[in-house]
Amino acid sequence: MSDLLQLVFSGLAQGAVYGLIALGFVAIFAVREIVNLAQGEYAALAGLSAISAVTAGVPLLPAVVLVVPMVVMVAVLIERLCIAPIRKMTPLLSIILTLGISTALKAIMLLIWGPQARGLPAFPGRDIVLAGVSIRSQELWILGISAVVGAAVVWAYEHTLLGKAMRACAEQPVAARLVGISPRMATMIAFGVAGFVGAVAGLVGSPIYFSSWDYGLGLGLKGFVAATLGGLVSLRVALFGGLLLGVLENLVAGYIDTGYRDAVAFLVLLLVLLVRPQGLVLKASAARV
Amino acid sequence: MRSEGVLRSYLPFAVLAAVLVVFPFVASTNLVNIGVFALIYGLAAIGLSLLMGLAGQVSLGHAAFFAVGAYTNAILITRYQVHGVLAAGAAVVVSMLIALLVGIPLLRLRGHFLALATLGLGIIVSVVVRELDVTGGTSGIFGIPKPEINGRVYDTPQEFFWLMTPVVVIGLLLARNLVRSRTGRALSAVNDSEVAAECLGVNTFALRLRVFILSAGYAGLAGVFYAYWLAVVSPEASGFQLSVKMLLMVVLGGLGTVWGAITGSIMVQGLDEGMRVLIPQLIPGATGEVQLVGFGVVLVLVIILLPGGLAQLAAMVTARLRGRQVERPAAGRSSPLESDGAPAAGGQGGHGEDGEPGSPYLGDVLDSAQIPERGSLVLSVRELTKRYGGVTAVREVNLDVYAGEILALIGPNGAGKTTCFNMISGVLAPTDGTIEVRGRRVEGRRPHVVAALGATRTFQNLQVFGSSTVLGNVAVARHLRSRSGVVRGMLSLARREERDIERIARAAVAAMGLADDADRLVKDLPFGRQRKVEVARALALSPMLLLLDEPMAGLSGPERDGLAALLRRTREAGVAVVLVEHDVDAVMALADRVAVMDEGRLIALGAPSVVRQDPAVIAAYLGTDDEADALLRQAAKEVY
Amino acid sequence: MAVLALSGCAESVSPADKGGGGSTEGPIKIGAVLDITGAGASLGVPERQTLEMLAKQVNAAGGINGRQITLLIEDNQSTEDGAARAASKLLQTEKVSILLGASRTGPSLAMRPIAEQAKIPMISLAANEKIVHGSKWVFKSAQNDKVVIENIVDDMAAKGYHNIAIARDASGFGEGIPEMFTDVGKAAKINVVSVEKFAPDATLFTAQMVNVRKAKPDAVVIWGIPPAASLAQVAYRQLGIKAPVYQSHGIGNQVFLDTAGASANGLLASLGRMLVADQLPANDPQNKVVTQFIKDYKAAYGQSPSTFAGHAYDGFTIAVNALKQAGTDPNKLRDAIEGVSNWPGISGVFTMTPEDHSGLTKDALVMVTVDNGKWKLVPAAG
Repeated sequence: MSDLLQLVFSGLAQGAVYGLIALGFVAIFAVREIVNLAQGEYAALAGLSAISAVTAGVPLLPAVVLVVPMVVMVAVLIERLCIAPIRKMTPLLSIILTLGISTALKAIMLLIWGPQARGLPAFPGRDIVLAGVSIRSQELWILGISAVVGAAVVWAYEHTLLGKAMRACAEQPVAARLVGISPRMATMIAFGVAGFVGAVAGLVGSPIYFSSWDYGLGLGLKGFVAATLGGLVSLRVALFGGLLLGVLENLVAGYIDTGYRDAVAFLVLLLVLLVRPQGLVLKASAARV
Repeated sequence: MRSEGVLRSYLPFAVLAAVLVVFPFVASTNLVNIGVFALIYGLAAIGLSLLMGLAGQVSLGHAAFFAVGAYTNAILITRYQVHGVLAAGAAVVVSMLIALLVGIPLLRLRGHFLALATLGLGIIVSVVVRELDVTGGTSGIFGIPKPEINGRVYDTPQEFFWLMTPVVVIGLLLARNLVRSRTGRALSAVNDSEVAAECLGVNTFALRLRVFILSAGYAGLAGVFYAYWLAVVSPEASGFQLSVKMLLMVVLGGLGTVWGAITGSIMVQGLDEGMRVLIPQLIPGATGEVQLVGFGVVLVLVIILLPGGLAQLAAMVTARLRGRQVERPAAGRSSPLESDGAPAAGGQGGHGEDGEPGSPYLGDVLDSAQIPERGSLVLSVRELTKRYGGVTAVREVNLDVYAGEILALIGPNGAGKTTCFNMISGVLAPTDGTIEVRGRRVEGRRPHVVAALGATRTFQNLQVFGSSTVLGNVAVARHLRSRSGVVRGMLSLARREERDIERIARAAVAAMGLADDADRLVKDLPFGRQRKVEVARALALSPMLLLLDEPMAGLSGPERDGLAALLRRTREAGVAVVLVEHDVDAVMALADRVAVMDEGRLIALGAPSVVRQDPAVIAAYLGTDDEADALLRQAAKEVY
Repeated sequence: MAVLALSGCAESVSPADKGGGGSTEGPIKIGAVLDITGAGASLGVPERQTLEMLAKQVNAAGGINGRQITLLIEDNQSTEDGAARAASKLLQTEKVSILLGASRTGPSLAMRPIAEQAKIPMISLAANEKIVHGSKWVFKSAQNDKVVIENIVDDMAAKGYHNIAIARDASGFGEGIPEMFTDVGKAAKINVVSVEKFAPDATLFTAQMVNVRKAKPDAVVIWGIPPAASLAQVAYRQLGIKAPVYQSHGIGNQVFLDTAGASANGLLASLGRMLVADQLPANDPQNKVVTQFIKDYKAAYGQSPSTFAGHAYDGFTIAVNALKQAGTDPNKLRDAIEGVSNWPGISGVFTMTPEDHSGLTKDALVMVTVDNGKWKLVPAAG
């Protein structure tokens, strides 16, 4: 029993990181139909930058606080430089483009930080054992920060005028303009939000899951799967989808075979896409005659 | 004359073959080594190029098929001592079988979801080969001997390069032939407008599946050579990095051109090796897959600056050299990257000249064998209903159409006419009710099923195939009347059939008075003529039921008269014509019967003279257009 | 015309094809394929440093019989296909006289058939006995995993452990390890009650360690290389498992100590003598060579060498000695390597035979523990 609880708990912590990444996908997709494959790189970039800052002697808290706006700026800058110039964005185009961005970012991180995986020092706190489950303080940090950040993003998108206007951009650009939000501006903000949640995910996860130049893509894809559970438009489902995925992976690793851990997410992805494709692809279907 | 053209079309392949044969003599061993990899990946890239350029489907997990080919070959050779050629054949077949199995569910997905599902597939394959014992786990399979044919061992880079040369040249040639074949024409049409192609009888799903399988075959064969050359197959062969590399090759070379795939693979492999050497020199201490920075940057730059890839660049340079200005890449082809099947925009306004379609051609176009006896029931609609959420766009419509009549469907905007057309032609699935075409139930079936029964249509929002010529547009309509499949297309065995297609397409073009424009790009024509192209295209299918959605819009007076005359002759041939039209006077003069719709209901049906007097009709036309518009807008919102 | 071109140029292509660097003058090319990046980076990087340092030393001292060494190092990125590609390149394009590497078992296995086909001697720096088993051309300088297991089993037997759980590297390094424990441990009544795997680049170990804990073993073996082996050690302590941990000879470097931190305290590992050189008796046959190597390495790179650096030292020095003795003829060179006898290196005293291409016995190993970030020699148990 305590084994099961142990697996579930550490799965939840990992899942919270997936959930944050998933939020980033939805934040962009809901505003402009782009699947941003570079989403995971924001996390890797944040983790590695913070490690460098800490190594250089900056205390943990200021390092973390400094890194987040930096990653947001990188995300926005990339949007300005690479996404904005494209006049007519098709799914194929956006996939290839963001894949290119992801690859370039990865390689730049490799050049700067080298191939070794490293971790941030753990946030302050003591590990505890509860009902036979050993809990790292960092895992509690992950769950707590993810909950706060996740709730804030959901609230901002669903309840503020700005958030509503941004979501409207995809469907009713005119209405959005009336509130003073141009689709260009909305896309920029959306990338900023994606950079923000990506950076947070990378920072809180780094002490346990480490950061390295090539870990963003895998993380991003898991986040994408979680986002797909919510049809790429529901922020709440994306967040919970991440938790679910994290737990599921850990259970498969614990009870079936650790080797299949990485296949779980994609089996889920294929199942979701195949069981209810009509719900997910309605917008792309040929019904526009 | 003909053979000269054939000769010229094969010349580039002869040149390529000659260059590849000479290359190992003049290049250093190191360069030849890079060349071998370029050829291996190039072979896979040709397949991916067909999939992306021709079938419009992206695969982010193409290395999966590459790995399946490599592993199958390695297992058969090292564990079962199977003969090399046999093992290679088996490897290709297994790759294609797996593509068939995963393609059936996956290819139903669209856009982002298909792309990411293929990516997921690639990752699943690499997890599976890592875990299975038969694939050697994480270490993979070692000790694959170099291929030996007739006692000759291909174990140096030079020898192996020569071994691959004929395979790559033939692979490229077959792919080129496929692009030019019936299958290629249909798929190119699908890329421009999927719905129009489907309505002309193109089974999009089946064709895409075939190309998907074929591209997996190319990847599998490339995997075979990879296994031979490296003597090792490990899970990296299925890695995402390799899929990205293949994607880059195709995109850099230019989507939609098979030549681009081979050029792209040479460039990318060169870039790969070059960056590996260059970057550590520029940035001391840089280790690892630093070449990725080149991949990423090139991928982004190509997409932003040169979406047509090197093919676009080549077209621009050629045009500059000839002193012409070029606005579009590669002979006016738009990059498939930019095409999403949206209707081509057209200029407004009609053209007054040559409004008299030539009649002698019509007989060639309409195939009398396909047309049922005059007066027999060809279309029967019962209780047809379409609801979008709470809004009912079409309500319980009953309608029969008989061979050899012209039936006009009229009504205010938003009355549900086009929705009816969409349901009858298979574009939309009805919420309720039945549709029978020549006694076969077709409601909810795909448009190509309806087309196969001899019913086709035109579109209110033009759906021409923008990247091809007028003749090319019309030729697509002969899809159902011709047979050659992927294999015959690749081997270029359908010459006679192609001549027949051209003859009838030319006749259909002439019948619509477009003979002078036959070889012009359709999107260079004014709006009204594009509309005529659609009618010519529908006629070229040799339909027995023709559904025309506002065919007269944008035509000049004389052109309208000409079209009316053509439709009458079509009726005389026994074809049933149903048209939606706003010009009530023209309709009344032309139609045998008139059906009137309002707010989704059929409110009148009968001879023009009777319908004209119907009080309900009069009320509908005088009344509440605005309400109807509102309804339509509401409905449209539900759809999107 | 075409025929002429074919025959004319074929000569320029083919003569050196099968030769493989048998020339008798000019610099001698030594090729190395190492895991410089990727999961094996913590092994490959010090190995590269060692090779570069030694090549410089040899060249400064006049080279091999007056011929300079050209050292060509390729990165296989810790992948099997990268290793095969690099080996092909070194053998076919560069025509090296001898091939060193790879750092880990999987890539080494990938290189083996390529070296054998080219009939050029190869010295792997990795552990698994499969690399050399039954091979004419391939040798290795790291201790066989079998002798490491014998060493560990002896210790377990002395302490009376019977049920053991194994968490092993999923790649070539860990393949076949549980089977070997069962085999070697039969006499000592040692049963393997649970086997878990982890990828060399894994960061999550909770699932594996939960299963290890569930098996309630007397002792646990973690068989991997850093950072995975250290992260497994951390997760192990995290879950509060009390059974003692044995680690393999894959952890002999500072990276392990740094990433495992306090979790490493008290573990037992079967390692070569170099890590505890300062604790060796003065009359130890390896003492002189080990001390000198540590001194040189520290002078060049400012840190202590890892055991992997030692594997590179042994491989390179065996190769250079054989080249001095036999020249670059592949057959003579091979025979010279096979003739190495009672030669003290960093990892042990080597004696190659036609049956044993690894040359080390369990005498090459000692039990080592970690005490506050330092390696400590453990006196033989029992």
